[in-house]
Amino acid sequence: MKIKVSDAFKASDAYNYKKMEIIEILQYEWAIRALIASSMVGVMCGVLGVFIVLRNMSLIGDALSHAILPGVVFGFVVAGYSLIGFFAGAVIAGLIAAVIITWIQQNVKTKNDAAIGIVFTAMFSIGVMKISQISRDDGVHLDLKDFLFGNVLGVSNEDLYLTAFVTVYVLVSVIVFYRYLFATTFQSVIAETMGISVQTVHYYLMLLLSFAVVASLKTVGVILVVAMLITPAATALLLTDKLQRVIFIAGLIGLFSAILGLILAILLETTPGPAMAVTATGFYLLAVFFAPQRGLVFKMRNKRQIRQKVELEDTLKQAFKYQERKELSLKKLSQRLSFSELKTKSYLKKLSKKGLVNLHLPTIVVTGKGIKQASKLVRAHRLWETYLVETVGLTDEQIHEDAERYEHILTDELIDEMEHHLGYPTVDPHGSPIPRKHISKNLKLNQIGQNQTAIIDEKQPSEYASAQLWQFGLLPNTEIRVISFKNNQLKLRQNTKTIELPITLAKEICVRKEVEV
Amino acid sequence: MKKLIEVKGVSVSYDRKMVLRNIYLEIEEGKLYGIIGPNGAGKSTLFKAILGLLPINVGKVSVKGDKIKKHRKEVVYVPQKSDIDWQFPATVFDVVLMGRYPHKGIFQRLNQEDKAMAMQSLQDMGIEHLKDRQIGELSGGQQQRVFLARALCQEAEIFLLDEPFVGIDVTTEEKIITMLKQLTAEGKTILVIHHDLSTVQEYFDKVIMINQRLIACGDVETTFVDENISKAFGGQLTILHKTEEL
Repeated sequence: MKIKVSDAFKASDAYNYKKMEIIEILQYEWAIRALIASSMVGVMCGVLGVFIVLRNMSLIGDALSHAILPGVVFGFVVAGYSLIGFFAGAVIAGLIAAVIITWIQQNVKTKNDAAIGIVFTAMFSIGVMKISQISRDDGVHLDLKDFLFGNVLGVSNEDLYLTAFVTVYVLVSVIVFYRYLFATTFQSVIAETMGISVQTVHYYLMLLLSFAVVASLKTVGVILVVAMLITPAATALLLTDKLQRVIFIAGLIGLFSAILGLILAILLETTPGPAMAVTATGFYLLAVFFAPQRGLVFKMRNKRQIRQKVELEDTLKQAFKYQERKELSLKKLSQRLSFSELKTKSYLKKLSKKGLVNLHLPTIVVTGKGIKQASKLVRAHRLWETYLVETVGLTDEQIHEDAERYEHILTDELIDEMEHHLGYPTVDPHGSPIPRKHISKNLKLNQIGQNQTAIIDEKQPSEYASAQLWQFGLLPNTEIRVISFKNNQLKLRQNTKTIELPITLAKEICVRKEVEV
Repeated sequence: MKKLIEVKGVSVSYDRKMVLRNIYLEIEEGKLYGIIGPNGAGKSTLFKAILGLLPINVGKVSVKGDKIKKHRKEVVYVPQKSDIDWQFPATVFDVVLMGRYPHKGIFQRLNQEDKAMAMQSLQDMGIEHLKDRQIGELSGGQQQRVFLARALCQEAEIFLLDEPFVGIDVTTEEKIITMLKQLTAEGKTILVIHHDLSTVQEYFDKVIMINQRLIACGDVETTFVDENISKAFGGQLTILHKTEEL
């Protein structure tokens, strides 16, 4: 016991020490620069990434980041160790890559992703060849590793200004041109018919992407900039389906990934770029599992709830059926349902809580409320079977299992609609009676109240009534709606016609009305 | 009658395969046109040619005597439902508001007036209560209404609708056709790609029948006759007749 406590002290000492260390470290200028630079990169890449992901251009992001290498190298060759040289070279190389890729996709019979693969590997290779050549010739320091994984701790003030400028430029562009980005991403054809040049928007986005990649070089490097572009955006897309919110959340996740990643790297004494990518992936995994509605945990819970509902309803239905046969017992019920007696009991308890069965009597009894609900299930089951045979044309043997599933899903309106469509059948294809929700009541036309509907019978009590119906243009077996009674006249509507007839005649006409049981 | 759109000898091909051959058409203002033809007859291609979305091999299309480019905001296109990404994070309101885009310059922002117009179009289509829903959550009929609301919001003169009645319920179909008739009564011109031959008589003023070539174009009463139908549908219709006999 004692040992454990002292261990814990040690651990918390170490933790406190680390905490101190971080706070101390974060007071160094280079650390502050690193923090600011990566925050900006996180936000910018997160925001821009939303459009990259939605346009299915993730691979282009990867390609562009690799393809700028020759630009950086030639920038160095031309202008020496100058930030502007690197920047200009990189952006030009990025745009050249975008143009070549698009040209191949439009003019050569090569698959889109293959075209991307060919161009970026080629450009990257040229860059690598040139680097090793220069390093050998002049012994200059142009480190390929920094290019690949970034060197956030070596961010200079100059780097910081450049990153700030690019971040502001990218964010302002997204805000100002939001509707062009939205329209061309969502429906490029429609955007074109609205007079928006889809091609121009595409290249502008490529320009922004090149900017973002160059600005991210120091922080995360070319390989991992893709993670900063795609992962926060993909995460945000799991969390909401309003585009403006997606963009905001993606920026936020990018920001947190960058800051937490940097702190994590300092704590674990490892490279910051990969730590940021891993942190972003952590957010992504959290969203995959715990996102409301779309998360796996939510889906699993939903699935379980549905299964429980189905099993509960099945228990009620079977209990009702056994009660009809006067054979209801726990044993028989659990055998029929192939549940353990324990499970059956727990479902019965749930049903009793809802007042659908009574467990306080010597035998299990399904209550009136329970019977009503159970017959609703039986009704859905048998109507669905009838529907499958009559309308879909399946045979009697094929329908039961399907109906077992659908009886739990069909809504009341759908069941009623189906019954109406099938012409109010009384038995299912197996010959079992279908519980009715409605019964038709036979009435005389004058008994139908204002604004109520009824159906005119085909068989009328007298020749006179039939002849009069024909005279007034009223159709049998067709619904009417009573509009008003005035001056001994009854006004009604059938289909699109309004018809007036004397109330004395209405007394002679037989109609039927579907009423709920 | 004013000729609104003129298609003069247009031919279009994809991958060296001719889809449209030498089509001549004159579309009159204020009429509701049905475009009829079998699958692969080039109905959607005709729309794209009119909209200037694809290169035309031979021939010319003009809108009000000019190139389409000059009249972009007056022409609205409602694509087939299958051409739309229903998973996209866009709300009903976002989509309808797109109708205002062609009315704005590059740096102009959308204002309250634009939003009010979008709301009005939603109300006209009876879907204002769905304005914050993601488009994929709607029923087929509601989805079609969203895109019609966008067309209204654009205040266009010419409507091109590609199979607007696919996958929607009868009530919505009736509502939409009533609305289209009302729009033509207000002087708008509407072209509808349509596949249900049984409703052609009832729905349209004029009919354009194509099967790669133009078969016939004119008033429904005089043009939508057996002779032209069998010319347009060729072998396919005999199969149709046979299935009816069965």
